[in-house]
Amino acid sequence: MSPITPWSGGLRRRHFLGHMAATALGIPAFRFFSELRANAAAVRKNHRSCIVLWMSGGPSHLDIWDLKPDSEKHGGPFRPIATSAPGVMISEHMPKTARQMHHLNILRSLDSKEGNHERGTYLMHTGYVPNPTVVHPGWGSTCAFELGSQLDDFDLPHCVSINAPGAGAGFLGMSYTPFMIQNPNAPIANLQPPADVDALRMGRRLQMLGQIEDQFIAQRRTQPAADHKAVYAKTIRMMNSQYKSIFDLKSEPAAVREAYGEHSFGSGCLLARRLVEQGVTYVEVSLGGWDTHADNFETLSNRLLPQLDQGMSTLVADLASRGLLDSTMIVWMGEFGRTPRINQNAGRDHWPRCWSVVMGGGGMESGQVIGATDTDGVEVTDRPIGVMDLIATMTKTMGIGLDTQYTTPRGRPMRIVDDGKPIAELVG
Amino acid sequence: MGRKIRGSSLAAGCAALVLALGAINSRAGDDSKPASKEPRSLASASLNANFLDPLLEAFWEEEGVKPPRPASDEEFLRRAYLDIIGRIPNIQETQAFLTTKEADKRAKLVERLLDHVDYQKNFATVWTNLLIGRGDKGRNVDRVALNDWLRKQFAANRPWNEVVYDLVTATGSNQENGAVNFTLAHLEAEAVPLTSRTTRLFLGQQLQCTQCHDHPQNDWKQSDFWGMNAFFRGIKTEEKRAADATGLERYDHTELSDQPTDAFARFERRNGMMGVAFPRFLDGEKLPPGSNRIRRVELGERIADPDSDLLPRAMANRMWAHFMGRGFVNPVDDIGPHNTPLAPEVFDALAEEFRAGGFDIKQLIRWITSSKAYQATSLRESKGGSADDEAEDLFNVMILRPMTPEQLFDSLVTATSAHRPSASRDDAKRDAWMRQFLFVFGNDEEDETTSFQGTIPQSLLMMNGEMMRDAISDKPGGFLAEVVERARSRGRSPAALIIDQIYLGALSRYPTTRERQTALRYLQTHPDSMGVVQDLFWALLNSNEFILIH
Repeated sequence: MSPITPWSGGLRRRHFLGHMAATALGIPAFRFFSELRANAAAVRKNHRSCIVLWMSGGPSHLDIWDLKPDSEKHGGPFRPIATSAPGVMISEHMPKTARQMHHLNILRSLDSKEGNHERGTYLMHTGYVPNPTVVHPGWGSTCAFELGSQLDDFDLPHCVSINAPGAGAGFLGMSYTPFMIQNPNAPIANLQPPADVDALRMGRRLQMLGQIEDQFIAQRRTQPAADHKAVYAKTIRMMNSQYKSIFDLKSEPAAVREAYGEHSFGSGCLLARRLVEQGVTYVEVSLGGWDTHADNFETLSNRLLPQLDQGMSTLVADLASRGLLDSTMIVWMGEFGRTPRINQNAGRDHWPRCWSVVMGGGGMESGQVIGATDTDGVEVTDRPIGVMDLIATMTKTMGIGLDTQYTTPRGRPMRIVDDGKPIAELVG
Repeated sequence: MGRKIRGSSLAAGCAALVLALGAINSRAGDDSKPASKEPRSLASASLNANFLDPLLEAFWEEEGVKPPRPASDEEFLRRAYLDIIGRIPNIQETQAFLTTKEADKRAKLVERLLDHVDYQKNFATVWTNLLIGRGDKGRNVDRVALNDWLRKQFAANRPWNEVVYDLVTATGSNQENGAVNFTLAHLEAEAVPLTSRTTRLFLGQQLQCTQCHDHPQNDWKQSDFWGMNAFFRGIKTEEKRAADATGLERYDHTELSDQPTDAFARFERRNGMMGVAFPRFLDGEKLPPGSNRIRRVELGERIADPDSDLLPRAMANRMWAHFMGRGFVNPVDDIGPHNTPLAPEVFDALAEEFRAGGFDIKQLIRWITSSKAYQATSLRESKGGSADDEAEDLFNVMILRPMTPEQLFDSLVTATSAHRPSASRDDAKRDAWMRQFLFVFGNDEEDETTSFQGTIPQSLLMMNGEMMRDAISDKPGGFLAEVVERARSRGRSPAALIIDQIYLGALSRYPTTRERQTALRYLQTHPDSMGVVQDLFWALLNSNEFILIH
């Protein structure tokens, strides 16, 4: 780009020296915002990750994990099949996942009270029911806060949400808000500076920016001013990261892409694997469309279950073969289950009273079924599991202290795990 | 002239109130003392008596905190523009305000902004988002019609209780009567969302938890929620079709109407029993059975009742929060004995004056913006460099608030004339950028957070996005080209002039001496002068100082 000189005089033009100065100022961008970098690989060795497969809308557990072939009224048309876990049966429309069940566990006796999408989503993401006085952090953001923050030299976001925004970070603040990837098959928007802005110029911009930001922070000394700088620092690290190619799935072999499926859920699962491989703490992959008040069985067998089966089974197998499953917990869940009763539109309605969650990896026991419902799927008959028990199990698996407590902005204590017990059959 | 008359009658009213409260502000002249070494023009800090000030001072004294140091003209100017008309001032507006020496220039500025066409645009945007959110509500909800309707109400400065009455009771075509769209947007699920929106926005009461159970922290019962919900029975919606240009019949608009009804709301109690509720207002007053009147009209009359204090308190608190970053009560729509307000006497007085004065929104804004709380600086006194001054937030220092996506977008356009260089594809491009901004920055609800909720995609959009690229381009007709052109025509020290203009355009202030020298040094040591100018402008537009209202 040829420099324009818009003014006639008053400027000493020292081309050579000027160029030297530009070079000196144009040190790599991240240096303006961050200090020395530790050895990332070493820090990451004992790191744990979690991938949540979020089924938004409320998945019909009775047609996937807890089939009722002996219930005349409620059974539905799907048949159970045997799996790689002895004695564990799941839906015939999940054949690939059936071969991975020895890595996973089915919790068949979840018991919650929230049958509204919004409230159920909040509950399952935070462990708490909505409360007007506090915005609870999503559990993923809590993990990012507790574990990700220990990786003080990490270029990628600690908390990533694919296909949907996920839960916010509540009072933990913007640093732990999930980084949302709208479409795992597309490049991340605006990740590259414009073509005419090279590293030197970007460096100069950031140096100028740093000066203004610091002055403003020094004058105001409040959280929003500092937070702004912090999020820019994270952004710049990502722009400069050697890992930013992680988001580009094109580098994966065609066979791998095919195994996961190139739909947004399959690609999301593949991206999740790539992210935890690099040390991202929490990744949520959403698959929507489960609110099947009508045509439940058609929707599941033709559309949802084939995608779920392909993405989920490949993810589990891939993590296992890469030796990542022991450090990566997988949790499959939605906001609630669906009614045993099949309505006049061949649909099932909202049902939070007894439903299923599937989890495995992260070093927990596997191949089990915990809890049970009756023949018609109406009542829990064995070992009710509360949402906080699930949160406790997840928290313990991640190695986060069960007594961890925060103080909300209103000065009230909030425990990550409030009145819940880890499921002993899974985590001892 | 009309303005003057209003102003003096206001002063008389205030004086009466101040007398009534027995607290004449005898120290009105004291705050002209410069409070810091920095070059700040304080001459215009309001010297006018404001009935809130004695109450605020009593509050600060009771809390044992110092009264605020006044904001500089630069701070006040930018804040007033953003809060009242939803964008930063442009260079001309900034220079005009900073130059004038009039004693009451701040009050005059507020008057000018209240008369500005962007005043109604801004408040219509704020209230459209509050009433129906930012998300798409489907074809039955005509966002543009609602926005247009709100603009007219704010432009005419209609009393707030009348505006609310119209919103609650509106009937007719959703294109012709924009107010209809509020109700249309929330009718699903037995009008449960409409019930909770109505009580939150207009009455400052959070009833939504009591949909399912009695409130744990206040006195609301599940039956209170459903008693309010029962007012939304008898509503009828009808999709009307009409022939389009090609003669094809298709959806045209939606009609909303009411019929008298004796329907009741049914709800499931926690114990599994069914409950039944007939219309009952929050104060416990039941609609007489067999009443032949339209339920929403009955509700509207109760909400807009000029003697009730729910509506004025809800609006006074919300407007205070709009200007101050937080309400007397927070969350702003959770008012009640369970939630102790900050500065309760100030809150009471503001709400009562708003009610007694006929729900005059512009007057409410004049009172708030002329108070010492709004006139407070956001600069914090240095003490050992610690960052834990949050405890001081007792309206005695202005807290920082992030711009809304709409404010940010309009401010970027103002600062950069970003839409001008490519005049031909102007509108389409602007709309595309606006959508991008709302998508990346907006959440559906207009929440009242004061933390910076920035995300990486937002920073990426600001740093590398197409709009920013356009904004800082050196294309002829663009902001930078104009600045450079102007500077060159002046001849003397154009570089310094350019730097000043860039700071004025982006941050509504002149650079400090140090900032100016730093920028000059960049220009002297780098061969690509235009590149330096662009980079500086980029840095200012990306800064916390730009995006935070302070």
